[in-house]
Amino acid sequence: MSDHVNGAAEGTVANKVPVTITVNGRTHRADCEPRTTLADFLREDLGYTGVHLGCEHGVCGACTVQLDGSTARSCCMLAVQADGSEVTTVEGLAEDGQLHPLQEAFWNRHGLQCGFCTPGMLMTACELLADNPDPSAEEIREGISGNLCRCTGYQFIVESIQEAAPKMRPAT
Amino acid sequence: MAEQSAAGLIGARVRRQEDPRLLTGRAQFVDDVRLPGMLNAAVLRSPVPHARIVRIDVSRALAHPGVYAVVTGDEVRAAVATPQPVIWRMIPDQRMTDGYPLAVGKARYVGQGIAAVAATDRATAEDALELIDVEYDELPAVTTLEEALAEDAPKLYDEWPDNVSCRATIPKGDVEAAFAEADVVVRETFRFARQMGTPLETRGVVATWDPFTDRLDVWLSTQSPNLARDLFGEVLDVSVDKIRVRVPDVGGGFGNKFDFYGEEVVAAILSKRTGRPVKLIEDRLESFVANAHSREQKVEVELAATSDGRITGLRGTVYAVLGGQLATVGIGPCWLTAALMSGPYDIANVEASVVGVVTNRSPYGSYRGWGQPKSNFAHERMVDLLARRLDMDPLDVRRKNLIPADAFPYASPVFFYDGGRYDECLGLATDAVRDRGWLRRRDEARGSGRTVGIGYSFHVEITALGPSRIMNMAGLQHSAFDEEVVRIDSSGRVTVYTGQTALGQGIQTALAQVAAEQLGVPLDDVTVVVGDTDTCPYTGYGTGASRAASLGGGAVLTASKRLKEKVLRIAGGMLEAAPEDLVVADGRISVVGVPDRSVSMAEIGDAAYRRINGRLPEDEVPTLEEREVFDPPNVAFSYGCTAVLADVDRETGEVRLLDYLIAHDCGTVINPLIVDGQLHGGAAQAIGGALYEELVYGPDGQIQTTTFMDYLMPTASEIPAFELLHMETPAEHIPGGFKGMGEGGTIGGAAAIAGAVDDALADLGVATVALPITPPRLLAAMRNGQVQA
Ligand code: FES
Ligand code: FES
Repeated sequence: MSDHVNGAAEGTVANKVPVTITVNGRTHRADCEPRTTLADFLREDLGYTGVHLGCEHGVCGACTVQLDGSTARSCCMLAVQADGSEVTTVEGLAEDGQLHPLQEAFWNRHGLQCGFCTPGMLMTACELLADNPDPSAEEIREGISGNLCRCTGYQFIVESIQEAAPKMRPAT
Repeated sequence: MAEQSAAGLIGARVRRQEDPRLLTGRAQFVDDVRLPGMLNAAVLRSPVPHARIVRIDVSRALAHPGVYAVVTGDEVRAAVATPQPVIWRMIPDQRMTDGYPLAVGKARYVGQGIAAVAATDRATAEDALELIDVEYDELPAVTTLEEALAEDAPKLYDEWPDNVSCRATIPKGDVEAAFAEADVVVRETFRFARQMGTPLETRGVVATWDPFTDRLDVWLSTQSPNLARDLFGEVLDVSVDKIRVRVPDVGGGFGNKFDFYGEEVVAAILSKRTGRPVKLIEDRLESFVANAHSREQKVEVELAATSDGRITGLRGTVYAVLGGQLATVGIGPCWLTAALMSGPYDIANVEASVVGVVTNRSPYGSYRGWGQPKSNFAHERMVDLLARRLDMDPLDVRRKNLIPADAFPYASPVFFYDGGRYDECLGLATDAVRDRGWLRRRDEARGSGRTVGIGYSFHVEITALGPSRIMNMAGLQHSAFDEEVVRIDSSGRVTVYTGQTALGQGIQTALAQVAAEQLGVPLDDVTVVVGDTDTCPYTGYGTGASRAASLGGGAVLTASKRLKEKVLRIAGGMLEAAPEDLVVADGRISVVGVPDRSVSMAEIGDAAYRRINGRLPEDEVPTLEEREVFDPPNVAFSYGCTAVLADVDRETGEVRLLDYLIAHDCGTVINPLIVDGQLHGGAAQAIGGALYEELVYGPDGQIQTTTFMDYLMPTASEIPAFELLHMETPAEHIPGGFKGMGEGGTIGGAAAIAGAVDDALADLGVATVALPITPPRLLAAMRNGQVQA
């Protein structure tokens, strides 16, 4: 059996390129292979494991982050494409030990079960409420229809977003 | 909300303890586990459905920079002591497939593992897979049930006479006579497409098998850590004391993570070989071939009945379209379809058979509902068809045949149903449908040219799987008890150690509620530890079969009661009062009527662990811990009634669900919020299974659905709002009265949807007999009256 062990060739030598990304307000600089996706870069190189991978082909939305202010599927972009960008991941939502209103509402309304879709759902819901501060249930369903959840049947996610909406509206 | 006081915590709608970590990205799923020196593995999978493996040359892969080890099927076979275990062996003379973690000699389905690589990172491992040269001698494949059963069909197993792995019949009463004497006989054949649980997180493992100490340390996304540990021991011939299975956060299970997969063994072997931790994470494309598939069956059913709609006999045959080898649960789910074919109905004469047939498709394993969605579809559709034949209201046929409340415990062909008020539950649903104006909405919609229908189904759900001895007699090669440990520490806080696993179903919160209420402490004072075979007690079977809350809850309740007695004895000594004169509330023990004569749970903890002298009674041993093993005397049947209002587009064949309600009874409810969430999620999977999801194989044996673009899981746009109605009939044989309910939503949905579609298209005489009801199938049915596969 031992003839099938090859411990000598440590590490693949590939041309690495430097990438600078600001994540949740902190600037990171790292070298990565050109083929590395933004999701893998965030997860593996920078340790933001709140970015989840449910499909790696752009359908499930679990990997959704905010990139320069709008949502992006981090599995479908390369890290080098995000060079110089500002990224917010789920780890950046809560501030000063306080849950974000959406996180609080998801907790109150049982808007998550296994929690695997949740980071992507939260990032999508943030954008949804920014664009439409008072959405109907129908509009919420439409707005999150690019994010798959296998656990909840969506109803409590819809209710969570409804509960958070008034708390996120700018005071008039 | 979480500060709820203890009284009334069982039944309280409290939010979950699990959530803050999950909401803030602080959870740790298996792919988040990173160990020093860890390698990543990838599996080379068969591109062909059926072939002899002539030769495998791994030399180019081995020479690839960054590659540490490559293993082939033959090497893995040499490294294991047994084939992959099959734990459900209900049929004693079943032909077993004795498969190995990677293919040995022959590949029998597209995606079967052929070889595996461990390398510095996943991309390098995948690069190396392309350098493995395999010579296949392709064989004719049997890709459908009909092909597999054909005369002179190519055989998957040369030593078998045909492709049939097993046949068995489950009898009750005299079916011959019932059919001979029947006023009417209704016959139908149902087809169910392949589907799978498809948790959003794929499966994964990180294995560290130390070649010097022989200790195997595994992180596994599993529903059954104790089972996995025992099976690792059997397969790898290692005593279980040397094996530790830890379960990180799990991104959904749904049965897919119950089974013990070959990849887990392969990762362990690669680790031993390289002396490094090895991570093996399935990607989404692989998941569509490497995960256990489910649901695919052909079911033939006949009903015998009197002219006034009383069902006197049921005969059925389940053809299980198994894959190229048996999965961990073997014929289990398909056997259960046959065993529960009579569902909630009191039918004196029943004969249900199961025929297990191997095909060149992925193995058939567990998926939420485990055979019951098919038995439910079969009996509910048959009731609808009988009503149609007799020109009766299907609800009247149901009322006439449901097991009456005074007939429990009821002996079905295999199981004793423990209790229930089925008729009341049906009434709860029909009343709600009336009160919500569905009939009017249907008729108005029809008046305005739309096609709207109402459908019902009634389901039973087997839960609380045990008792161990009976399950062993039924063929289970494992136990089915549960064990829980409840401990109060030196600060008076409570920790529950459970062998159940957390898959998103809220088991930690549920068990914490039970312990907090029993012990009289605030919910926040209870922590529930899961997911480590070194720390947590042994639960038989695993977290499946809707057993965690009922058996775990029952055991935690009993252990907590005993622990509270000790607390009261200690407090009695400290307060100089008799234990009967004490009450516990909010973590304080006080003398009845004298609230300021009290001690805190923290003081009790201190007296039991630290400053013992003079405070812990002389006849008490230090520490505060109780352990309870609960092997239930029987399973417990939950039940429910689903009603669906659906709109059918006659032009496109699309079905839209307008309203959806479930009346439900799962015994004593621990947390209604969690129960509602389980029902919603289950119903969404039922809807996916009824309308969208299908693992499609081409005539060439190639799978055609390997992304979320082709395997259509429902999104928020397809899923309606749900309304839930609850009844509580406590299970008398389970402490606390808890029944399980993880699968109910999934079991009853498809039949109700099919009923609504048929009702909508009643003018065309459509009978839905195949799932999923996709637009092309429905359009064809509108042309010829039947939704066919
Ligand atoms: S992982 Fe990026 S969309 Fe699914
Ligand atoms: S909570 Fe599990 S996938 Fe959404």
